[in-house]
Amino acid sequence: MRHRMAVAVLALAGLLLSLYLTLHRLGLTGPLTCGADNSCDKVQSSVYADFLGLPVAAFGVGGYLALLVVALVGLQPRYVQRRAPTLLLVGLSALGVGFTAYLKYLEIFKIGAICRWCLVSAILITAILIVSGAGMRGQSAEGGGQSGG
Amino acid sequence: MSGSRSLTPFYIVLATVAVAGGVFIALQLGKGPQRLALSTVGMPPVAGERGVVMGSDSAPVEVLEFSDFECPYCARFAVLTLPDVKNRMVASGQVRLRFVHFPLDIHAQGPHAHLAAACANEQGRFWAMHDLLFENQDEWVRSRRPDRVAEGYAERLGLDMGRFRSCVREQRGWSQVLADRALGESLRVGGTPTVFVNGRQLSDPPSFDQLRRIVDSLAQLAPAAPAPARR
Repeated sequence: MRHRMAVAVLALAGLLLSLYLTLHRLGLTGPLTCGADNSCDKVQSSVYADFLGLPVAAFGVGGYLALLVVALVGLQPRYVQRRAPTLLLVGLSALGVGFTAYLKYLEIFKIGAICRWCLVSAILITAILIVSGAGMRGQSAEGGGQSGG
Repeated sequence: MSGSRSLTPFYIVLATVAVAGGVFIALQLGKGPQRLALSTVGMPPVAGERGVVMGSDSAPVEVLEFSDFECPYCARFAVLTLPDVKNRMVASGQVRLRFVHFPLDIHAQGPHAHLAAACANEQGRFWAMHDLLFENQDEWVRSRRPDRVAEGYAERLGLDMGRFRSCVREQRGWSQVLADRALGESLRVGGTPTVFVNGRQLSDPPSFDQLRRIVDSLAQLAPAAPAPARR
């Protein structure tokens, strides 16, 4: 169940990152200035930084939290042999990658700035999808005749 | 038992990530918008004749802002803080406000706005154009023709449009913008908005209440602050 451990660590990192970006969006952190390297400020303060009335980063908090919980539950003895947590991780992270792709499109084509923190989040969610997918394949191969449940 | 033992290193890694991230966020929260300090490093000279001024020459305090019209935080400062500064400090003769152009290279649309503001300044309407540009920042930043949007603002302000258009066409105000930016570069301004109060750089853009406290303390200390010569 190494893949669930890896997902848990990556999801926790993503959760903290999203939390930081949400707090920044709410104006609770750091100096609010624009500079040559402050593309994140441009992205964070753009009209696209909110989605359905909430900071985009808040969706990251929810998504990464869900991934973290599923990964941790999947590590408990009762669930460790079951495939359902892995499938859920794949599904959730695929959703996250889709949403991230949309955000990258906005950054590149609409806002004209790439937020480095957001890029880190994109890498994290993509890594989670890859690791979960590898875990799913590993379980399928391992399971062979087993009804993994 | 063996299961929980094998998970111990994992939980240690997880806890380490949580603590590291938590400390980082706590540090960032500590830098929150309420923190404000006068820089203790150097006291660069203020703009001299550069920039556009509002207020009395005899005002004891000068608030100088290096600003980029496309910078969202400059817009926030212009919309949320400057109206109070103008109405309550400049109007009372306590403060002289000085805007210094500092268009950042990362902002592609900004130069159109700076040129429009400089051309409005030719007709004595800089501050009205300043307010329109910041209040409607989203509109012209997202426009494919920000120059046309700015022209619309000039019309709205009742400017002499022939003169405004020729100013934009000939880029008459641009040398003023570049000279302002050169001043900022000579003062090592690294971003916008950068605010100086009587020649002292603030670490963050201030709220009105923060500025009020600084201005009150400076007004008590120095009855009048002559504008130092440009370096």
